[in-house]
Amino acid sequence: MVSATGVRALIDERGAEFEGYTFGFLDDMAKREIRRTILKAVAIPGHQVPFGSREMPIARGWGTGGLQITLACVGADDTIKVIDQGDDASVNAVNLRRLIAKTTGARETLTTGEATLIQTRHRIPEERMTAAQMLILQVPIPEPLRHVERSVAAARAMHAEADYARMWLALYEDVVRNGEVTAGAGYPVMVNGRFVMAPSPIPRWDIPKLNQAETLFLFGAGREKRIYAVPPFTNVQPLEFDDYPFEIEAFPNMSCRRCGATDSYLVTSPQADGSTLSVCSDTSYCDDVLAGRKVENQW
Amino acid sequence: MVEPLLRVRDLTKIYSGKGHRIVACEDVSFDVYPGEVLGIVGESGSGKSTVLQCLFQDVVPTSGAAYLTSFEGGERNMFEADRRERRELRTHRMSMVYQNPRQGLNLMVTAGGNVAERLLAADWRRVSDIRAKASDYLVRTEVPIERMDDFPAFFSGGMQQRVQIAKALANNPELVLLDELTTGLDVSVQAGVLDLVRDIQSKYGVTAIIVSHDLGVIRLLADRTLVMKDGHVVESGLTDQILEDPQHPYTQLLVNCVTN
Repeated sequence: MVSATGVRALIDERGAEFEGYTFGFLDDMAKREIRRTILKAVAIPGHQVPFGSREMPIARGWGTGGLQITLACVGADDTIKVIDQGDDASVNAVNLRRLIAKTTGARETLTTGEATLIQTRHRIPEERMTAAQMLILQVPIPEPLRHVERSVAAARAMHAEADYARMWLALYEDVVRNGEVTAGAGYPVMVNGRFVMAPSPIPRWDIPKLNQAETLFLFGAGREKRIYAVPPFTNVQPLEFDDYPFEIEAFPNMSCRRCGATDSYLVTSPQADGSTLSVCSDTSYCDDVLAGRKVENQW
Repeated sequence: MVEPLLRVRDLTKIYSGKGHRIVACEDVSFDVYPGEVLGIVGESGSGKSTVLQCLFQDVVPTSGAAYLTSFEGGERNMFEADRRERRELRTHRMSMVYQNPRQGLNLMVTAGGNVAERLLAADWRRVSDIRAKASDYLVRTEVPIERMDDFPAFFSGGMQQRVQIAKALANNPELVLLDELTTGLDVSVQAGVLDLVRDIQSKYGVTAIIVSHDLGVIRLLADRTLVMKDGHVVESGLTDQILEDPQHPYTQLLVNCVTN
């Protein structure tokens, strides 16, 4: 935490951009509460810990959970990056990044490798993250059992008793009806062999990255007032049947139109002339490949 | 000497609220031996369903004990089980067929899925095995196999009840609890379901407790019978003996009603 004189010094040094605001926008008590919640979440991987979600200057559902975690963790020496579905340049990403930087003096970056702290919506970067970095995911629906159990109290009891028969039943029904588990974004995972967790709506492509990673993953749901975590080197396994194994998305014979990469998650958009355009979802990775930088640490 | 599978001792359930105290059942004790069917008969309000609900732990008994041989070697009262043990008891050791299929089935899940739920709870993780096993149970209970992937919401009452029985048999529970399983069905369907249960019982030697107000059901299925009235067991013994030579005035009345 930066002391009062520290904040004063920062304002003097980097201009008066956050004059009038607390360091990191949140008041100290809020930051303290969120940090304690994070500690508990890290101690029980995959377990949703309730916290007093604060009013933020953006609407609930726009990443308030992730933003609160970021603001509680960021220091003046951090370098921050904000991703919105792989893209650093969306209005939401730009505004979140600006808010974080202005109220803390942290440096902004668009490059995965440079960032110490990354807040993201719906993607995990292609470039392998390190132990020195932290990924904060914005979560719309933290409860993986929401679709199989309407009662919040009953769902919590199911977590407490590790009773996931209903979740498995939903997957079975999916296989029976559709011939496969159709869950695309937010495929349910088992964390540390104990808790079924909603990994936030990341594509299947990103699910294996959660397993045994060097990086700390924090998940924040502002509207639902929950924080949970996957600490470094934790087992994270997608729920799968022996005869219907989990598979990531495949992009056969496709490459990024912009950088030519064939080993990244592609997004496809229809064009005016009826054709489709596929490009890397992760713009930082795309830029790196385009600039001829070798990204050796791909997951 | 055969050891009983289940020993129930002084089972009591009292519902009490402001200014009232309702004794649903009191000091009910009995044993169930492996492979036998125990009948519990009585008028409505006699506490017979309460006994089953307590055993399946849908309802928390006021006092009393029940010892299941396979639960901690029959040494520990299963009413003292914690939530996790209780779930294990319900998914691995016992099953329940409710009078109303809506209570025992998830109507928004396919018939096969309903049966599969108990297998999934027992950590079955191969869809082909689960489907083979589920269809096996559905065949046993005479549910047309082509209806396996349909929703029980669209089934007739009799077929819903047969799916419920298939579900109850899944995962080979040691003890099946049947609560008024034919009461909601019309007479011809009743006969079919009863035949089915009798066949399954004789073929697979399932241990069961069957609760009914209908002496016909008890006569057909139960080896031994308890007669309950006002929350108490008034008479117990071999079913034939009770029906042919009832001792308690209430049992005599009950048997008379049917035979006349």
